[in-house]
Amino acid sequence: MNLALTQIGLLLAKDLRIEARTRQTLGLVIVLGLLIVVVLGLGLGPEQLGKGGVATATLWVAYLFGGVLVFEKTMAVERQDGALASLLLAPVDRTVIYLAKLLANLALIGVLALVVTPAAVILLGFDLSAAPLGFVGIMGLGMLGFAAVGTLFAAAVSSTRLQGGLLAMVIFPICLPLVITSTQLTQALFRENQPIGQGIALLVAIDLIYLAVSWIVFELVLEP
Amino acid sequence: MSRTLIRLYWLLTAALFAGGIAMLIAWTPTEVTMGPVQKIFYIHLPAAICTFFACLLTFIASIGYLLQRQRRWDDLASASASVAVVLASVVLITGIIWGKSAWGQWWTWSPRLTFSLILWLLYVVYLLIRPSIAGSQRRAVVSAVYGVIAFLDVPLVYLSVRLMPDIHPSSIQLAPAMQWTLAYWFLPVTMLAVGLVVAQYRLQRRATLHSAAHLSDYTATGAAPAGIV
Amino acid sequence: MSLFAATPDFALPVDAAAASGPAVQATDLAKEIDDRLILRGLNFSIPRGQSVALLGPNGAGKSTLLHLLATLTAPTAGQLTLLGQPVKRSDASLRRRIGMIGHQPMLYRDLTALENLLFFGRLYGVKNVAARAAMLLEQVRLADRANDAVKAFSRGMVQRLAIARALMHDPELILADEPFSGLDIPSIQQLQLLLGSLDAAGKTLIVTNHNIEQSLELCRRVMVLRQGNIVLDQAARGTPVALVMHEVTRT
Repeated sequence: MNLALTQIGLLLAKDLRIEARTRQTLGLVIVLGLLIVVVLGLGLGPEQLGKGGVATATLWVAYLFGGVLVFEKTMAVERQDGALASLLLAPVDRTVIYLAKLLANLALIGVLALVVTPAAVILLGFDLSAAPLGFVGIMGLGMLGFAAVGTLFAAAVSSTRLQGGLLAMVIFPICLPLVITSTQLTQALFRENQPIGQGIALLVAIDLIYLAVSWIVFELVLEP
Repeated sequence: MSRTLIRLYWLLTAALFAGGIAMLIAWTPTEVTMGPVQKIFYIHLPAAICTFFACLLTFIASIGYLLQRQRRWDDLASASASVAVVLASVVLITGIIWGKSAWGQWWTWSPRLTFSLILWLLYVVYLLIRPSIAGSQRRAVVSAVYGVIAFLDVPLVYLSVRLMPDIHPSSIQLAPAMQWTLAYWFLPVTMLAVGLVVAQYRLQRRATLHSAAHLSDYTATGAAPAGIV
Repeated sequence: MSLFAATPDFALPVDAAAASGPAVQATDLAKEIDDRLILRGLNFSIPRGQSVALLGPNGAGKSTLLHLLATLTAPTAGQLTLLGQPVKRSDASLRRRIGMIGHQPMLYRDLTALENLLFFGRLYGVKNVAARAAMLLEQVRLADRANDAVKAFSRGMVQRLAIARALMHDPELILADEPFSGLDIPSIQQLQLLLGSLDAAGKTLIVTNHNIEQSLELCRRVMVLRQGNIVLDQAARGTPVALVMHEVTRT
């Protein structure tokens, strides 16, 4: 157990160090997210802005596109120069590799969320004062499920050949339950007297299922 | 499987369809509120059930591939996925037509229609990604992983769309004659679905075995096993 | 030049019982990929400390065999025993004793040479990781570039670092998949020297290669694989290049 934790730490530190050194992905993804917010802010009239649904949907679009780029990058790091082979050669449990990648992906899209969410809230006039923590919690749970499945598919899809858009095409439909549930939940959250227990339970269930399945299947994806 | 048997099978299926249509025109009572268009329901529901089973078959075949790594599982998965898309298209289109005649709109984001749409999307993507992936082994692995998760997604989609507001809840009371019609229509639709899966599967197998035979004629470059590259 | 004297500081604990017997024992080893039989019932044994050149045309199954020996993939049929341990699906302890160099560097190009070695060393649980990394960098003559990112290295330098990476955990069995590809003559000579000293240090070495003459010089035993079968298996010394060439190229 100790060994697994140490190895996760090592792998995570390695990924974050590489990202810190190249700094391309995070910058790209944050700017992309901001652009999405701006375009939607410009495109939608004042009557539509300010409604909870718009901000949530905009954020999801930003996370989905940004997230896919992040997942592709963290996996591309391994595929470049065959580094993944050296990881597989090492006495490292495959689930350790999965968890480390998941944590790295979460860290990076976490940073994305930290920048883009306030921007969306401000630019799109979304009033969070009624339940700010609830909103953050719901979006956080959504992103967790997204990263769980995204890490798996990034590993499955990545190869040395460029296949632009493939990962996005695969992840988007799969993540629709997350999008629907979190969007409905945020709307319910900001309306008075709407029960959200069922929605939260569903969101948690989705996360658990995505995590469990990705965890188990990841090993099969890495080995021929 | 002899050609005669296959021909008989399809003749029977066609006959059942013809019989079903005759039944709809002459025998089945028309539903009061919706009129004749409602009869599209008799195709809609059996198709929906068959779609589910086609998706389930893809799921099972995908797991089969991931565990055994034999191409026939991949061929079965893609065969049933393509049939799932065909059936899901039928479900979607009949659902839209029904919606238009019942509520006057071509599209509403009601739970049922949204569910049909997402299901359709999920399996269309399955078919779309395959040509984009080079290397039959990589393609099989990615499709299998997707096939597993897409199916697990189905109940999740079902539950999440139920959170959406349902402006047009619909419950249909079925008179006995209508129930019989519905039961009857399961026959041709299921036969069509099964027949398509089998036919598609055999096509895929032939293609796979043909390309495998070709490869061993050449000294192919020893590509590294997919997990490493 | 002794690269690999395993001092107690660096040595990883080794099961005494597993320290005897051949390095590699293959019985009816077969591998099927995508419904194609790549390796067909191979039978061979490689004693510890032997250096083997694995030759053959493209598509013969050399890389597949090496991946099997690295436990990166499992055989479809047959038995494989490595260093006294039978190979089971994901056997971490066995991987500690195997090192591999491929024609891809298997390094992280955005990290420095030293960071790469420290990372892999720690992953393998090597003790005194920093000292060992420094020593290996010295041996492969990259000590002055220790803090440079790998992406700035030439191909020859990258391969030398790859060897250092493969040796961080002092493996007993070393696999090299076409390590000379893409290298210029001086780098090839350096690499030959390094691999030769592995032989002297008692490590078991299996190298795939396309250059027959080079292989016969470097290794003590030569095996030729063609269409998944071993068609030649004998001592390198005394085997004429022409014979090997014939076995590799005949259809």
